[in-house]
Amino acid sequence: MTSNRSKNGTGMIEFRGVNKWFGTLNVLKDITLSVEPREVVVVCGPSGSGKSTLIRCINGLETIRDGDLVVDGQRLGDPATNMTRLRTEIGFVFQSFNLYPHKTALENVTLAPIHVRKIPRTEAEKAGRELLAKVGLADKVNAYPAQLSGGQQQRVAIARCLGMRPKIMLFDEPTSALDPEMISEVLDVMVAVAEEGMTMMVVTHEMGFARKVAQRVVFMDAGAIVESGTPDEFFSHPKTDRSRAFLSKILRH
Amino acid sequence: MLENFSFRTIVEYLPLFGQGLVTTVWLSVLSFAGALAVGIVLAAMNLQRGRLFRIPAKAYIDAVRATPLLAQLYFLYFGLPRLGIILPELVVGILALSLNSGAYVAEIIRAGILSIPRGQVEAGVASGMTYVQRMRLVILPQAFKVTIPPLLGQAIVLVKDSALLSLIAVAELTRAGQLLASDRFMPAEGFITIAAFYLLLYYGLKGLAALSERRLGLAGART
Repeated sequence: MTSNRSKNGTGMIEFRGVNKWFGTLNVLKDITLSVEPREVVVVCGPSGSGKSTLIRCINGLETIRDGDLVVDGQRLGDPATNMTRLRTEIGFVFQSFNLYPHKTALENVTLAPIHVRKIPRTEAEKAGRELLAKVGLADKVNAYPAQLSGGQQQRVAIARCLGMRPKIMLFDEPTSALDPEMISEVLDVMVAVAEEGMTMMVVTHEMGFARKVAQRVVFMDAGAIVESGTPDEFFSHPKTDRSRAFLSKILRH
Repeated sequence: MLENFSFRTIVEYLPLFGQGLVTTVWLSVLSFAGALAVGIVLAAMNLQRGRLFRIPAKAYIDAVRATPLLAQLYFLYFGLPRLGIILPELVVGILALSLNSGAYVAEIIRAGILSIPRGQVEAGVASGMTYVQRMRLVILPQAFKVTIPPLLGQAIVLVKDSALLSLIAVAELTRAGQLLASDRFMPAEGFITIAAFYLLLYYGLKGLAALSERRLGLAGART
């Protein structure tokens, strides 16, 4: 039995020989990957390569079949690990934002801090206003999601995660559902979060973002990690045929 | 034909109709409250993953929807005393309407909850909410808004169904019409008057539905 603490003690997120199946489809194949505290890792790869599934396993939105996944020193699936509690340390930004449509921007940000973290309402609202100002939405505090553009909604979603003061932020294609002119406003916020030292895993094809803040790019194909390296190495000198083929497709334009 | 129509008799019987109307209203309110309680429990059972709760809930809902309300009413009215349970007619009536309408309410609530996109559940899960917190803070407030119009529709059906209680001698609106019909041999006067009162109740509930839909407009808007 593996101990509940991380063996080498340094990785904030550690995959060791992780496998996952959807029915007979092996969607994650023998994944081994360690993300250090304050590290920013970009995950890319063709559609269906398992990159979203990979980060969804980290907060237990998906469960793994075998192997070990240790997050913040706690092994997932271990009876001693309180998953609900661990999730409060992990922010997750969805491709489709998933804001609560019946709550204002501020209420979206304060809901979990008040009810899950048990922070007093006035304090949570003060912090919430500051966070919304930080993502450039000080004037949209009382707006409902339906009144906001996609880019604005995604910035609220990022503020909603930050409101929990997480140790880790996961981003699942955060700009894929956005109109092109809104992508940079979201990426700017993500860069700011990264520069504050957040541990981040970001599924994205935004090369500019990767070059600017990522320490590492992980390339996945057919459920396996095919290549991993610094953004410069990966984008300038991809080592495998599959990564070259993928890059030629996304860089063509 | 109209010269035979006795408005005077209707006016004379108005206090009786008034009492019948009041009885219909409050027994409908009580029955609908009962139906909501039954419906919430059934919907919760039906949404569980385990079969232990789901199968009895589904069986109950099917049984109620497959059989006539009149048969259910007679079953309770004549059946319960055979089992040694003797209740006043009014209580049997409210019980029958609650149990019957509850099955339909359960399906409305279940559909409302299932209509909330999966991403809403995931957002709650990802922020560390428990099942109960997710339901209370995220899912139910949204499902509630989707559910109000069909629930008011079900309330309208319940009000009309309550006419069947006249058959077990509950002094509600239809019973008042029957009395006028049999006492004075004036079925046209009796039943047209109750029809007018039912129409009144119908428009009242419809107005309420329209009002609630307008009130819930903005905040309920989908992204």
